[in-house]
Amino acid sequence: MGDKTDVWQGTLALMILKTLETMGPQHGYGLARRIEQTSGDLLQLNYGTLYPALLKLEQEGYVRSQWGTSDNNRKAKFYELTKAGQKQVRRATADWEQTTEILSRFLTPAEEA
Amino acid sequence: MSSVPAKMRAFLIRLSGSVRGRRGANEFDEELEAHIAMHTEAGIAAGLDEEEARRQALVKLGGAEQVRQAQRERTGLVWLENLAQDLRYGARTLVRAPGFALTAIATVGLGIGACTAIFSMVNAVLIRSLPYGDADRLVYLFTPNPLLKIPAEVLCPGYGDYLDIRQQNHSFESMSNLVQTRFSLDERGMIQRIGSARVDEDFFRTIQAQPELGRAIGAMDVQAGRDKVAVISHALWVSMFGGRANVLDKSLTLDHARYQIVGVMPAGFEYPLGTDLPYGDSQTKSTQIWVPLVLSAAKREEHEPDDNVTIARLRPGVSVRAAQAEMSQMMAALDVKYPGDPKTELGPMRAHWGALVKKFTDISVGPVRPLMRLLLAAVGLVLLIACGNSANLLLARAAERARELGVRTALGAGRGRMARQLLTESLLIGAAGCVVGVVLAYLFLRLLPRLDPGNIPRLNETSLDWRVLLVAAGAALFTSVVAGLLPAWRSSRVELTEFLKAQGARAGSRGHSGTQSALIVAQTAMVVVLLAGAGLLIRSYIKVVTVDAGFSQSTVAFNVSLDDGYKEPEQQVAFFKHVAESLNALPGVIAAGAVNKLPLSNSESITMMFVEGSHSNKEFQQAEARYVTPKYFEAMGIPLLAGRYLTEEDYSRRSQVAIINKRLADIYFPNRNPIGARISTDREADGWKDFNTVVGVVGDVRHVSLEEEAEPQMYYGNYQMNGAYVAVRSRLPGSILTSEIRATLKGIDPQLAITDIRTMGDWVSLASARRRFQTSLLAAFAGIALVLGLVGLYGLMAFSVNRRTREVGIRMALGAKRRDVLMLVLRNAGVLIGTGLIAGLACAWVTTRVMRSFLFGVSEHDPMTVSAVSLLMIVCGIVAALVPARRAASIEPMRALRME
Repeated sequence: MGDKTDVWQGTLALMILKTLETMGPQHGYGLARRIEQTSGDLLQLNYGTLYPALLKLEQEGYVRSQWGTSDNNRKAKFYELTKAGQKQVRRATADWEQTTEILSRFLTPAEEA
Repeated sequence: MSSVPAKMRAFLIRLSGSVRGRRGANEFDEELEAHIAMHTEAGIAAGLDEEEARRQALVKLGGAEQVRQAQRERTGLVWLENLAQDLRYGARTLVRAPGFALTAIATVGLGIGACTAIFSMVNAVLIRSLPYGDADRLVYLFTPNPLLKIPAEVLCPGYGDYLDIRQQNHSFESMSNLVQTRFSLDERGMIQRIGSARVDEDFFRTIQAQPELGRAIGAMDVQAGRDKVAVISHALWVSMFGGRANVLDKSLTLDHARYQIVGVMPAGFEYPLGTDLPYGDSQTKSTQIWVPLVLSAAKREEHEPDDNVTIARLRPGVSVRAAQAEMSQMMAALDVKYPGDPKTELGPMRAHWGALVKKFTDISVGPVRPLMRLLLAAVGLVLLIACGNSANLLLARAAERARELGVRTALGAGRGRMARQLLTESLLIGAAGCVVGVVLAYLFLRLLPRLDPGNIPRLNETSLDWRVLLVAAGAALFTSVVAGLLPAWRSSRVELTEFLKAQGARAGSRGHSGTQSALIVAQTAMVVVLLAGAGLLIRSYIKVVTVDAGFSQSTVAFNVSLDDGYKEPEQQVAFFKHVAESLNALPGVIAAGAVNKLPLSNSESITMMFVEGSHSNKEFQQAEARYVTPKYFEAMGIPLLAGRYLTEEDYSRRSQVAIINKRLADIYFPNRNPIGARISTDREADGWKDFNTVVGVVGDVRHVSLEEEAEPQMYYGNYQMNGAYVAVRSRLPGSILTSEIRATLKGIDPQLAITDIRTMGDWVSLASARRRFQTSLLAAFAGIALVLGLVGLYGLMAFSVNRRTREVGIRMALGAKRRDVLMLVLRNAGVLIGTGLIAGLACAWVTTRVMRSFLFGVSEHDPMTVSAVSLLMIVCGIVAALVPARRAASIEPMRALRME
C-alpha cells in the first residue's frame, strides 16, 4: 500500500509542479481540471487527493499559497511555485526522464521482437 | 524525490502542526467549499441542474469528509498526536486516582533510588577510569616467604634483587620503587603531617602520569645532594599556594629541610591512596608530596626486603600469569645467586624468597568487589520487588477499570491501542519514579560521607554523572515495561462477551487473580532473602563489636613521630621519658604509656623467637613484639594475669625482661608457670642468645583485626623509639584531656605534630567501619524491601476485600460471624505470606552461601536468623492484612447486598 501511494504521490507531485510552472498561479480546482485535460482524460483523478499533495509540497517549501479571486469573481486559494519549487521541477523532471529512458530500453526491444 | 532539507522542513511543520492543534481546519473548509462551488458552477454551465452538478462535484472530489481526514493526517503527525493523547489521558487517570498513583510512584521511586545510589557508588569505585594510564597493566611485585607467617603482599624484593630483575626481565615495560613516608610540613609555623612518597626516577613513567605544571622526578634527582626537590599534588598547590603559577619558584620545608618545588600533579592524582597498597602506612589516606628516592651504594647491594613497594607496568600483551612465571624463575635464581648471611635474622630465609605478581586493581578494588556485587544484587532484588508492586497495582487498577476498558473495546478501541494506553500509564509512573529515585539517590550521596568506612577506594568521588543517570533511566524503563506489560497483555485479552456476561458476578472466589497472588508470593520470597542476608550481617556485626579486644575503649591515644632533631638514641629516650612523666603528672590522669605499634592501627612488628625449655618450639616460630614504656598496660587497661607489670627500675637497670600474653603462655607453657622462663628473639644462626626473662603474663589483645584471634605477643620495656603512640587513661572528659595533651606536648617540643588523637573506642569503630557500612546498607535495603512487600500485600488484600464486599454480605446474611470474616481474609493473606516465606527461605538457604566471606561467628544457615526473619515476616504480614480484614469484618450485610 505504501509503495503504490508513494509512486502515485510522487508522480502527482511532479504533475502539480509542472502544471504550476507552465500555467503560473492556480487554485486547486483549476489545477485538477488542468491535470485531467493534460493527461488526455486518461487519468482517473480524485480531485480530493490533490489537496494533501499540495499541503505536502507547501510543507516542503516547493509551493506557496495565498487567497485571491478567481476568473468568475470567487474567493479561492491560489498556489504558485517557489524558487525551491522551480529547482525541484528541473531535478524531478530529469530524474523522471532518466527513469522512463531506462525503462523504455527494457520494454522497447521486447515489443520489437 | 524530495531533498532531505525539504523533508526535514515538512517534518518540523507537521510537528508544530501537531502541537498547535487545528488552526488550519477552518481555512481548509473554506478552500474546499470554494472548490465545490466552482465545480458546481462548471456543471451548471454544462447544462446540469444545480443539485446534480453539486452531487457530481462531490463524487469527483472523493467525498468531502475523506478529503478533510486526509488533509488532517497530513497537517500533523498522527502517531505523535496519539501518543500525546495517551499521555494526557494517562496523566488524567493517574491524577483522578491519587492514592494509586502516589503509591506506585513511591514504590518505583524507592526501587530506582536504591539502584541509582548503589550504582553511583559502584561507578566511582569500580567503573570510572583511574588517572594512571592503562591501570589494567599495572602490577605489584611482592616477594612472599613461606617461612614468614605474614601475608604474601607485605614485602617487595630487596633493592639488590630489584635492580637485577629490572635489568633482566622481559615482562615489564618499566618498573619502579617507592617508599611511603610522612613529612612534617611547616606552613608558616603550623606543623602538619603529610602523606608522602619517596619515588625513583621511573615512578611517573611507570604509572603514566605527568605533572600539569613543571616536571616529574627524573634520574638527575635521585642522587645524594641533588635530591631536595619535590613534586606536589594539585590539592596541596591550591591549599598552600592558592593555585598560583609561580609555585615553581617556591620551596617547602619538610622535616626541617628545604625542598625546591619542581612540579604539580593534576587534580585527582594522589597515588598511593591508603587503599592502593595492601599493607601501606595506615595513617596515609592519600599522597600529597613526592620526593626522590636516593639509594646508597650499600642499599643497592642489599638483597633482603626493605620497606619499598615495587610497582611495574606489564608490556602490552604480557599476561599476569606469564609475568608471574618469569618472576618466580628469576627469584629462584636470585635466591641461589645471593646466599644470605645465616647470622642475620632473615639470612636463613634467603633460599625461600618467592615472587608474587598481583594486578594493581586486584589490590586496590579487589577486596571490595564482592561487597559491591552483594550490594548490587540487593538493590536488584529491591527493584524487582518494586516492579512486582507496581505490576500488582496496575493489575488491580485494570481489574477495577475492567468496565471502562470493556466499554472502550465495545466502542471500537483497538486492542493494541488499549495495551498501549496501559503501558503509557506504566511509563508515566516509571518517569515520575525515576525523578523520585534520582532525588533519593542524591540524598543518599549527601549521607554517604557519614557512612564512609574510609577503606573503600574512591568512595568519596561518588557522584551522579551521566552514566548513573543513564542507569536510573534504564531502571525506570525496565520497571515500566516489566510492570506494565503484564496488565497490558491481560487487559488486551478482555473478551467482550466475557465482560458483558460478568456484569453480575464479578470476581473469582478470592477476589483477585492467580497472577496477583503469584506476584505477592514472589515478592515475599525476595523480601525474605534480603531479610535473611541482612539478618546474618547484623548478627555478625553484633558479634564483632562485642568481641573483647583486650583493652579499655575509653583510653585516649595519639601518635607522635620524632623528626631529624632526635637522631641520637639518648634524645629519643629523653623525649619519651619526658612525655610519660609530664602526662602521668597531669591531674586526673590514671596512667600514660607509649607503645611503638598501637592495636588496630594496621601496623605490626613480628619477630622470630625461641622459648627456652618449651616442648612446643618449632622452627621459624613468630610472635608479635612491641616496645612499651612502664605504664602502657595500665593506660590501656590490659589486665595482668600473672607476675608483674614492668617497672621504672627494669628500664633504668636495663634488665632483660619481657611480658607475654596469655596465648603465648598457653602455647609454650601448657602446664608450667611461665614466670621466670626465658625467651630469645636474637638468633645467631640458631644459637639463640640475649634471653629475656618473663616477668608477667597479660591478657590477649586483638592487634591486627577485631575478627582475628590474638597471636602470641611479647612486650619489652624500651623508651627508645623514633615515633610512638601514647595511651592515656584518665578520669577527665575527652575534650579536656585532648587539650591537656596538646598543651603538654607543645610545652615539650612545639615543632612536633601530634596526630591521630582519638579514643581506643574510636579505633574499634574504625576497625569495624566497613562491616558497619555494609550491614547498615543491606539492612536499609532489606527494610525498604519489607515495606514494599507489605505495601503490596496490603494493597492486594484491600483490593480483594473491596471486590468481595457483596460476597461477604451474603456470607454474613447467611450467619457468618465477624470473626469468621476476619479470619477468612487473614487466612487468605497467611497462605500468601506462608508460601512466600517457604519459597524465600529455600532461596535464602542457597543464596546466603555467597555471603560466607561476609560473616563473622555465625553460620550462613544461622537458625536464629531464620526464625527471626520468619517471625518478622509473619507478624508484619498479619499487621498489613489486619486493616483490610477488619474492614471486611465491619461490612454491613444489608448495605453490601444493596450495592450494585
